[in-house]
Amino acid sequence: MPSWQDFQPFIVSGLALGGAYALSGVGIVVLYQATGVVYLAFGAVGAMGALIAWSLANAGTPGWAAWLVCVLFGGAVTLAYGMIFGPPLARRDPLVKAVATLGLTLVLFGVMDLLWTTNGGQSRAITLPTDGGGFTVGQVQVTWTQVIGLAAGIGIVVVTEVFLRHTKLGTAMRAMANDREITATLGVPVRRVEAAAWFGCGVIAGVAGLLLADLVALDATTLTFLVISSLAAALIARLRSIVVTFLAAIAIGLIHDLLTPIQSLTNYRDMTPFVLAAVALLVLPRDPVITRSREEI
Amino acid sequence: MLDTASRAAGRQRSPLRRPSTPTLVNAGVIALLLLVALLVLPQLLSLYYIDAMTQVAVYSMVTLGLGVLVGRVGLVSLGQVAVLAIGAWVAARLLFATAQPYPVILLEAGVATMVLGTLIGLPALRLRGLYLALITLMLAGALTVMLATVNFPNGGHGFFGYNGSAVHIPAIRRPSIASSDPAYFRYSVIVAALMFLLAALHIRARPGRAWAAIRQSEPAALAAGINITLYKLWAFALASFITGVAGGVMAGAVHYLYSINFPTQDSITLLAVVLMGGAYSLWGAIVAALLLQLLPALLNNWGVSADWLTILFGIGVLQVLTTAPAGLADQAPKDLARLGRLLLGRLRKLTGSVRGSQ
Repeated sequence: MPSWQDFQPFIVSGLALGGAYALSGVGIVVLYQATGVVYLAFGAVGAMGALIAWSLANAGTPGWAAWLVCVLFGGAVTLAYGMIFGPPLARRDPLVKAVATLGLTLVLFGVMDLLWTTNGGQSRAITLPTDGGGFTVGQVQVTWTQVIGLAAGIGIVVVTEVFLRHTKLGTAMRAMANDREITATLGVPVRRVEAAAWFGCGVIAGVAGLLLADLVALDATTLTFLVISSLAAALIARLRSIVVTFLAAIAIGLIHDLLTPIQSLTNYRDMTPFVLAAVALLVLPRDPVITRSREEI
Repeated sequence: MLDTASRAAGRQRSPLRRPSTPTLVNAGVIALLLLVALLVLPQLLSLYYIDAMTQVAVYSMVTLGLGVLVGRVGLVSLGQVAVLAIGAWVAARLLFATAQPYPVILLEAGVATMVLGTLIGLPALRLRGLYLALITLMLAGALTVMLATVNFPNGGHGFFGYNGSAVHIPAIRRPSIASSDPAYFRYSVIVAALMFLLAALHIRARPGRAWAAIRQSEPAALAAGINITLYKLWAFALASFITGVAGGVMAGAVHYLYSINFPTQDSITLLAVVLMGGAYSLWGAIVAALLLQLLPALLNNWGVSADWLTILFGIGVLQVLTTAPAGLADQAPKDLARLGRLLLGRLRKLTGSVRGSQ
């Protein structure tokens, strides 16, 4: 068993990773609540945004412009998908809606593999200006990116909670989560609210893509399917509670990184999100067969 | 009166009654295709395409298993590639450890996968729809991580049979009657045909009817006295068995197995092609396998990047889900028939106008 000293740096990195997972998880939960779609292309959109930002930065574009393009790309693609495929699938099963986003995932993944071919061992990297600076807590070096990772996670939770509770648009989204038809009858512009949710989710995907590209790796496959890990946090919260999503994401990030120094478990640490999500899903109370609600399990 | 009625019923149930014409045509087509696959293809194709077609045979079983789950019962699994990996692992371990005949090993791999798949499926069946799909994705992800550490057996000792420092890795053996590539292709086609037969028998019989009822409406099936849990588990067991056997065939086909060949995302592509091929018909499984294995081989030969295929699959999924829920196997004949009718109508109109002008 490694000593306490060995664990310290992994607490920091685990919190940062958890924050980034929380960002993705909250994005998924908000969109699911507003539109009933589990957006599995979340990772692919972020990955492609990050790759575009990388290319732009390499071509000499100033950093902030490249990052802005990344974030806007996420919003634009997601909004376009929601506008094109949202209406025809609106009345279908949640499962069909989720699988359709896998279609978008495959398209984006193919395009990324085509345009940014893996060049034998030479890896790309996004360096945010916050990587260099930092401070030390005790003997642990903390970079600003790690701080941003955790702060972004906390920030998104606070902002979404406030937004959903206290703004008109947020209230409309919550109403739609309850019942789309009744909300429409009450005069809420349902399509416009949905569009806002799609765009917002896409923007979060772009930000998460940038952060994860820096914290984990800038690699199409890794980032695209990292959504599976982020989804774990959302699943633990049953795609419902934003706060639970955040806590689950932090737990996943912490456990994942804290397993790293333990020799016998280090190879299995990537199982953390899957195992936690599987356990969480399985200990959920059994759903009676007859109820067919939005939260169908 | 009653007597004649019961006699009529008896006559109807008699197994010797003359099969209907569509059934005969269907059987004829299947027999012809099998003959072509067994006798003609191995003579015609180069080794490159024979290998690709062997993979098609292997994956037709995998898509068949997923097709049964998705199309018959309405259970979406996003973890079938992990199940395939279990089958391949068990088969490889047994092939290295024992000298049993190949069919026995295939059977054992199938049964072992079935047991594991059912054990995993048992708790997962508490969930339905979206959540079931996502939990299978989670379990597949966990299994893939585990597999990357455990590795596939390569003739080493111990339970896992993996020897990381081995320089000369022995190849996984093939059955003695099918050691050459064309012979092994025939062998895998026969195994695949048997699996299709197994699935078809299930669909025709009591389980198939129960699955159809469950797919339509679980409450109605429950009210009709169908044991939903039993038949769902049955479907999981059948699909896992078929996929496990496919893993066994795959082990012999490729000779060397590596965990990186079974990534979680392949399960997603697999679902995409099954939906594109058509989950509601057994032909759809074959279409899906051709899409998944033959198309990449063709593209590779033509020097086109396989990424185009990924893009195509993505578009295909979106198209299938929005406009053609029964997939290619259903849509292509319909579209062809529509085209035929259209052409025929045009022709008639043309001849009619010609006749009218005369």
